[in-house]
Amino acid sequence: MTQEQTPETRFAQQGDSRGSARVSRETISAIAVAILCMILLISARFVSASLGSWAQVETVLVLSSFLVVLSFGQGLVILSGGLDLSLPATITLGGILATSIVGSGNPEAWWLLPAILMVCAATGIVSAVGIVWLNVPPFIMTMAMSIIITSGLLGYTMGTPRGAAPEAAVALMKERLLGMPAPVIFLIVFVILGWLFQSRSIFGRYLYAVGTNVEASRIAGVPVNLARILPYAVSAACGGFVGIMLVGYSNGATLRMGDSYLLPSIAAVVIGGSSILGGRGTFLGTVGGAILLTTLGTIISALGLEFGLRTIIEGSIVLVALLLLREELFQRLRSMLR
Amino acid sequence: MTTVPQTHAAPQRERSQAMSMVERLTRGPSLIICIYLLLYGLYALQQPKALSASAIASLLNNSVPLAIAAAGQTLVVLSRGFDLSLAGVISICNVVLAVYPIEGPGGALLSFLICLAIGGLVGAVNGWLVAYLKLQSIAATLAVMIICQGIALVILDAPGGQVSEWISYEMTDRLWHIIPVSGLVIAALAVVWAITLRTNFGASLYAIGADEHAAALSGINTRRVRLITFVGAGMIYGVAGFMLSAQTATGNPTAGTPLLLLSFAAVALGGTSLSGGRGGVFASIVGAAVLMLLQKVLFSSGVSSFYTGLFQGVILILAVVVSGLLTRIGEGK
Repeated sequence: MTQEQTPETRFAQQGDSRGSARVSRETISAIAVAILCMILLISARFVSASLGSWAQVETVLVLSSFLVVLSFGQGLVILSGGLDLSLPATITLGGILATSIVGSGNPEAWWLLPAILMVCAATGIVSAVGIVWLNVPPFIMTMAMSIIITSGLLGYTMGTPRGAAPEAAVALMKERLLGMPAPVIFLIVFVILGWLFQSRSIFGRYLYAVGTNVEASRIAGVPVNLARILPYAVSAACGGFVGIMLVGYSNGATLRMGDSYLLPSIAAVVIGGSSILGGRGTFLGTVGGAILLTTLGTIISALGLEFGLRTIIEGSIVLVALLLLREELFQRLRSMLR
Repeated sequence: MTTVPQTHAAPQRERSQAMSMVERLTRGPSLIICIYLLLYGLYALQQPKALSASAIASLLNNSVPLAIAAAGQTLVVLSRGFDLSLAGVISICNVVLAVYPIEGPGGALLSFLICLAIGGLVGAVNGWLVAYLKLQSIAATLAVMIICQGIALVILDAPGGQVSEWISYEMTDRLWHIIPVSGLVIAALAVVWAITLRTNFGASLYAIGADEHAAALSGINTRRVRLITFVGAGMIYGVAGFMLSAQTATGNPTAGTPLLLLSFAAVALGGTSLSGGRGGVFASIVGAAVLMLLQKVLFSSGVSSFYTGLFQGVILILAVVVSGLLTRIGEGK
């Protein structure tokens, strides 16, 4: 009985590892993703001489800007405990509205673009209202919203989208500033702002709280409804913005322009170390995930593999990332480090 | 319910007897069957031919792939999971049947077994990832779906090929000009489900979906049940892929994709709780039938096919909201 420890000594011996445990999980995955990215870019030289150069890095960054913006929105929704399956629809909505309203007729009216983003955000709010007040599962609600928007656009364009890209969108994607492509500068600014919002603002902390436990957050005085609704609005606006970016990049909209972005947007968030259940993850990890996926995509397409094999490789990468990010593995790593 | 004090037990029982009518209406497939009959009445008013044997058979043929796929999805949803690999399995089965057609009834049987094997194999991978490696079911099956779609594209990179004639004729035909073969397939599936409900596995499935921890504590091997659930669901998707190929008679590497979202819609319409443990396969089958009938009704009402999705989406949301409300009324909360 003399051996019995007082609570104080026990506490001192174990140490408060709660904070460090959370940080280490997220830092590990962020660092791992960054290292993997660099290895890939350097080893890409062996695939083709044109890869691994600065020009190649620029291309990868421009291409990944789409996915970074998307997975910021998707990441916020996942962080707050939801899932946004309507991104392809909001991308197409942004793209089609940009070409049909702004692009045809008044291509210089850049001030109409924010209005388009508001329309997209409104669809996100409708989804969020269904999820928060009508108790529809996020998965189902955003899926239904996606079908509704897509079908509405099909009717609106009668199957063939018309119009050209707005000048502002073309300028954003094609100009060069300070010796760099404009999208790269935009990407850097966006990543800093996104990181400040998610990790350094009070609202960002609300999202972590809501994603971990809604009831506990409500009791703690977090504006729960706002913290659950806003991510969907932001995500839909991000989707619309990517639609406008894509229109500027490829100079036109199609009805299926968003289809190939849904799975990567979720994959980038998961690879970046976020929990798909919500409440855990950093935006910087997600950015790493998005750049890693894009790098892989460009390397795989440079290998000249057929589309089916590329798809298999992409799926396997997501699977491997999921397996590496398992909770058990992190606990083992952490106990090894201690 | 365990926290309710003993003194409240008696009134609780009386109330539950009074509620049994409501409960009978809100649980199980009765509500969705009523909706189906109403919708069918509407369809018959617009199209008097809708009551002929050939019209019923063609409607059934249209609905069967989705109905079977939704039945498989229901298994996974009941165990509190989501299975996105549905689209991949159906696509692989479709391209395999279209690229390697085997003629004759024996060939059809062999093709059917191949479909079951493909589905079972993919399901085993899903089950292993979810049950043993503890991955989130959405994330794991998402990755498996992408890989499966890649495999389907490797087998057949563009729509084409020809499904064996025996399969495409016989599986969409009517026996003695009355009974549609596809209806028999659905009936067989329903019988298998009815038997499953009476087995330990059936009970364990619901138990895991309602509360996995409690199920494990009461001696259920939750990992094994989860694995079997995914394998079973995968094999059912295989059947759905087989029936879809009979219906389309050709191969398409993305054949399964449109069925994925609709399968969830059918499950939700059937009143199966998306958080697991409540619902059933019959209701999902009828839910799938409602979705396909709705397309016909909209078409015959002169609504442009562009807007089909709009109605499907609104109905999906309404179905989930209403079934949630009815469940709450049924439970007397």
